[in-house]
Amino acid sequence: MKTGNRLVLLLLQNAPYVLFVVLLILFGLVSDRFLAVANFRNIVIQAAPIAILAIGMTFVLLTGQIDLSVGASMYLTASILAIYLTGIPWPLGLIAVMAMAAAIGAVNGGVVTRLGVASFIVTLATLFILRGIAMWLSNTRTLMFPDPITDLNRAHVLGVPSAIVAFAAVFAVAWLVLHQTPFGRQVYAVGGDPEAARKAGLPVRRIVFLCFVIAGLCAGIGGFVSITQIGAVGPKYGDQIEFSAIAAAVLGGVSLFGGRGSVVGTVFGAILIKTVQNGLNIINADPYIYPLVTAAIIFIAVAIDGLRTRIIEKLERRTIRPLTGE
Amino acid sequence: MSPSASTDTPAAPADRPRALRLAKLLLSEYFVLVLCVVYVAAIYPFVPEILTWQVASNILGDMMPLLVVAIGQTFVLIIAGIDLSITAIISMAAVVGASVMTGTNGYLSGSAVAVPAAILAMLAVGVAVGAINGLSVVRLNMPSFIVTLATRMFFAGLAIWYVTFHSTSSSIADLPASFTAFATGSVLGVPYTVALAFAIGVAAHVLLSRTQFGRWVYAVGANPAAARISGVPVGRTIMLTFLISGACASVAAMMYASRMQTGSPIAGENILLDVIGAVVIGGTSLFGGKGKIVWTVFGVLFLLLIDTSMKLLGSSLFMIYIIKGGVILLAATVDTFRHHLLVNR
Repeated sequence: MKTGNRLVLLLLQNAPYVLFVVLLILFGLVSDRFLAVANFRNIVIQAAPIAILAIGMTFVLLTGQIDLSVGASMYLTASILAIYLTGIPWPLGLIAVMAMAAAIGAVNGGVVTRLGVASFIVTLATLFILRGIAMWLSNTRTLMFPDPITDLNRAHVLGVPSAIVAFAAVFAVAWLVLHQTPFGRQVYAVGGDPEAARKAGLPVRRIVFLCFVIAGLCAGIGGFVSITQIGAVGPKYGDQIEFSAIAAAVLGGVSLFGGRGSVVGTVFGAILIKTVQNGLNIINADPYIYPLVTAAIIFIAVAIDGLRTRIIEKLERRTIRPLTGE
Repeated sequence: MSPSASTDTPAAPADRPRALRLAKLLLSEYFVLVLCVVYVAAIYPFVPEILTWQVASNILGDMMPLLVVAIGQTFVLIIAGIDLSITAIISMAAVVGASVMTGTNGYLSGSAVAVPAAILAMLAVGVAVGAINGLSVVRLNMPSFIVTLATRMFFAGLAIWYVTFHSTSSSIADLPASFTAFATGSVLGVPYTVALAFAIGVAAHVLLSRTQFGRWVYAVGANPAAARISGVPVGRTIMLTFLISGACASVAAMMYASRMQTGSPIAGENILLDVIGAVVIGGTSLFGGKGKIVWTVFGVLFLLLIDTSMKLLGSSLFMIYIIKGGVILLAATVDTFRHHLLVNR
């Protein structure tokens, strides 16, 4: 009985991973192409922009805040790059995009921490404003990017595709910051209990502010990787991508209420979503069911998470009962 | 707790009358309505058309579906939840209803009960999705943001897929005249849609402010743990707010479908942020426990006044986006300021 509970708990605790393995087996049974190494490389390349975005979102979610403006930030910075910065070499372009996106994050973070307005509303408002400015600058036309930028998509570093390099670099830095620095521990502390963090002398406002800047920075990098992949941006670019990023983070075990989760889970969540879409594509599923299956998997993963909390509560209750009985 | 109570405070010392008057205005129940009036007065010299009957009735026509959805959303926000699935419910209800009553290959084409059956089907869609949302939040312990994000993705996708089984185009047209008359007809000079939205608004207002259920809604939003201890059926209350939100979205689907004379899977696709923005502009808190139906009415009205006047001014979409964003931010900042005023009192 007790070991049975342990097993259930172990399965529930690793629900996204169990789900992932189940999907791999299912898709692998239907198509032998799915389990090829080249296919996995494709999945990671496709997942890179969302994953990078979701890594930044993780920092904001860990502090118990939310950033709905990352998609609009991607659209605005990409538009400025395409309209005003066409001639510059791509590293400068990347730096410019990162700087602008970080500045947008700083505005969000500044308004949230200084004026005390809920981040949901602040970033909802900046979403409108940023999209408006981008449509104004671009005249709602589709903007094309020059070859030097789109060529990056085919570039390799030591045989590794550029998108994967960017993805790995962002992940490594984010992991180090979150798990190996005092700042990372402070992020968890603020998300876990802001009041306690304040009483412990942590600069809560500055930490939250920095998390918004990080989310902006990641939106810039993720946006840049995605424009190397698609080569053009229209008025719908980045629309509602913030929801995909949030879904990836939550799928990977990040709590919307702050204090729980990690970038490892987030990256896994992003790859899980893309794996599902890739698998459906390979088994020639009806394209109409892609969003249905994706939604169902997000739902199941979060439902299991809720279930886990309940079961843990139940298990804890059981260990207490005999003591009170004696 | 209610801002109206603060207006009854005794007259202040004469040295700070202006500050007090400003504070009083800010705390007033009708602050957003005052803003609406001020806005119309300010914009009138530039777009005198805004006070013509034609424009006013256009605003009313645009306002009704938005208002009905926003009323449902108000309930969910007061219990400190959020319902992102409303646009997907609108899409799904519109296509399901249309597939029942359309003249071309509808389930009940030409039948006398086609329209009532379609209306019931639309309501059923809203209530069903609302039930999924509510059950997941209450029974499965899931955050409403993620639940409704998932149901939104699911049903928006399903609505598009559903159409492919019933129509060769991307929407289901050929709706019966008796249904499309809902958008054009009127009773005693009042358009049906306005009459219906008004009825829903009054019912929602009474429900929230005059019934035990209404008090439960506020109690759950303010402090669920305290509410549970006090004997409030927390789960059932949360469940009902999601059912109300779903049913309201269905009603909006009827309004959209009858106005566009087609069941489109992208009906109301873009109104989610407008709805949440409008409710928040009205003063309802995202953190629960605070909100009123009249506030929502004012919020929706204000957002649409801006939208309409900007269009009349010949502004492009980008300008409307920028101004909408600015107004949402301003309203939220003012609300935070109001909150400080109330706390420091």
